Amino acid sequence: MSSLGNVILIEDDQQIRQFVKAALESAHWKVFEAENGKRGLIEARSRKPDLLVLDLGLPDMDGLEIVKEFRKWSTIPILILSARIEEQQKILALDAGADDYLTKPFGVGELLARVRAVTRRRLQSTEVSPKICFADIEVDFTGHSVTRSGTPIHLTSIEYRLLSALLSNMGKIMSHRRLMQEVWGPNHTESAHYLRIYMSRLRQKLEIDPAQPTHFLTETGIGYRFEL
Amino acid sequence: MSTSSEIKQIKRNYLAAFLICVLTTIVATPLRQVLDLANIVMLFLLVVFLVSLKLGRGPAIMSTVLAVALFDFFFVPPRFSFAVNNVQYIVTFAVMLAVGIVTAHLTASLSKHAAIVLNREQQTRRLYELARDLAGAISFEQVSNVLGHFMAWSGHIAKLHLLDETGELPSLKFEVALTAVAHTSIKQGILVTTTQLTESGSLTQVFPLKAPHEVRGVMVVNVDSDAKENAENDNESLFEAVANLIAISIERLHYVELTQQTKLDAIAERLRSSVLSSISHDLRTPLTGLVGMADALAITTVPQNEAIHNSAIAIRDQALAMSHLVSNLLEMAKLQSGKVVLHKDWQLFEDVIGSAIKLLKPALTQHQIMVTLAPNLPLVEFDDVLLERVLCNLLENAAKYSPAGESIEVRGFINQNLACISVLDHGSGFPVGETEALFQMFTRAEVESSTPGVGLGLAICRAIIEAHDGTITAVNQEQGGACVTLCLPLGEPPTVNPEVEDSP
Repeated sequence: MSSLGNVILIEDDQQIRQFVKAALESAHWKVFEAENGKRGLIEARSRKPDLLVLDLGLPDMDGLEIVKEFRKWSTIPILILSARIEEQQKILALDAGADDYLTKPFGVGELLARVRAVTRRRLQSTEVSPKICFADIEVDFTGHSVTRSGTPIHLTSIEYRLLSALLSNMGKIMSHRRLMQEVWGPNHTESAHYLRIYMSRLRQKLEIDPAQPTHFLTETGIGYRFEL
Repeated sequence: MSTSSEIKQIKRNYLAAFLICVLTTIVATPLRQVLDLANIVMLFLLVVFLVSLKLGRGPAIMSTVLAVALFDFFFVPPRFSFAVNNVQYIVTFAVMLAVGIVTAHLTASLSKHAAIVLNREQQTRRLYELARDLAGAISFEQVSNVLGHFMAWSGHIAKLHLLDETGELPSLKFEVALTAVAHTSIKQGILVTTTQLTESGSLTQVFPLKAPHEVRGVMVVNVDSDAKENAENDNESLFEAVANLIAISIERLHYVELTQQTKLDAIAERLRSSVLSSISHDLRTPLTGLVGMADALAITTVPQNEAIHNSAIAIRDQALAMSHLVSNLLEMAKLQSGKVVLHKDWQLFEDVIGSAIKLLKPALTQHQIMVTLAPNLPLVEFDDVLLERVLCNLLENAAKYSPAGESIEVRGFINQNLACISVLDHGSGFPVGETEALFQMFTRAEVESSTPGVGLGLAICRAIIEAHDGTITAVNQEQGGACVTLCLPLGEPPTVNPEVEDSP
């Protein structure tokens, strides 16, 4: 099988680098390692990467700075590796343009699943599919309709906007701020609790058990994510 | 305050007045040939005026009478007799008398005013010195000393008593009567004067220390019974000014202390969080490597060698458990070491219950989770990351202590003015009578047990819930199994305007 593309891996710990590299290579990625931020940015410029895996806590640079720097000239997916304690930093990194994060410690399975999710979106984003199905729900973007096993479900316009914001960023974590902007516009005045209320309504209508959702997932302290 | 020296001085003044009058008579006698009587009387008038000016009212009156008598006796014909030929001299006598008395009176009141002005000036100077010294004071002791120094000259004794945070006067603990008076003064913000407090019936004045923001305490002045007559209104307003100055400096000291404390707190907080995050990083990094490498090993060895595969999985699981323990310890260290910073927001239980269950999915595979939420649960204000941690700990306990296959129940409901979540299991429950102890650190239901853990979970839960002003309780259900319920205050949730539908 041919290579899926180039990955730049910026991580200061050698052991973590080693297993992440092994895992990515087993999934047919070509991996270029960097042990600090400066080296990573140099690699990123020369290797034409398709994915960036970045540790937030680097010895020489703030990971957030790297995300910002990188986003000035590239749109490829960025996957953040971070410790649980850095909730605020994760939000900042996501708002700065990172696509997703993994909380340390993580297993190989989790890593590859996240990598698949962020890269699949990239492959799809060129051509948004007009129909998305999950569980017994079918969302038809061309016809603006949502049906459960063929029966139409009524969504208000805000609910529909929220649904399409989540579906068009499938698998990707969306911060509260980002979702608020997509649904209520860049000059929205509503507070975050509106988002929570509408998310709850959407789950009531589309999830089988809204209290244990399988598709509309909460990323506590950060935002929401839609997963197939 | 007439002392013996003053009496002597007065006697001396009378004598001087007498001698001057006699001297004037002697000097004027030879001039009798040259000068008209009207001019000689001027001489006497001058003397009376000068005596009144210099020697006070008593000698003035005496010298007037004496001058009149001497003038009459030695100069007015018939000489050497008090008889008067011409009635006109009666007018002369009256004028001399009047000049003497009026002058003496004017002089006396002038010098009295001068004394008052001098006293005022002294007071002002002392107040200025007090203000200057207070401005330099950097502790309550120094303020006390400055006050003592100020009071020393007036012969009074003043003491300061400050209110503590609870609104009590700790320095007056054993003086019940004075405490009552002091509280009256503080409450009404006025001077309270009483003679009831001492056996000798001496006067006690209690001044409130009114600072710009609040009353800080009282200044108690004991007025000596000897000095009572002199304790005029003058002193009262002086002491009031002193009390105000003291109150302002005490408030200044209070805010200085507050600022310093805040600065120290901020430094400590920064240090603490940097220590915690570097420990967290240093502990987690090797664990992340361990988990990842064991996982990679487990995946690659699946077909070839089952023993190695199983070992790799065991290593991964142990490393994950270790990481979990590290998280709990760090979390507890953070919660224990002082103020928990809550990132509170108005949100739904649904979100955080769902995410906690999802997060713990690997640990909950043996159990069926049932979530029952009361319809229309309102928005509740909480820190979602911390509440998720509480729910994870509770669910983890429930899974750990109940047999595989038993269901675990999560209920969200409203109880009066509290929003509550219960986690119920069908396990062995808590040891009877020890549910409270379980919330202590490092306490476990079974002391030596094969179930992993160190007994931090519930202690963390309690610390987090108490930081939210909520409660967390553990009970055994009647039909068996444990039930932990956490309750958060409902508060007043923000309103949500209904959506205006513009298109179907």
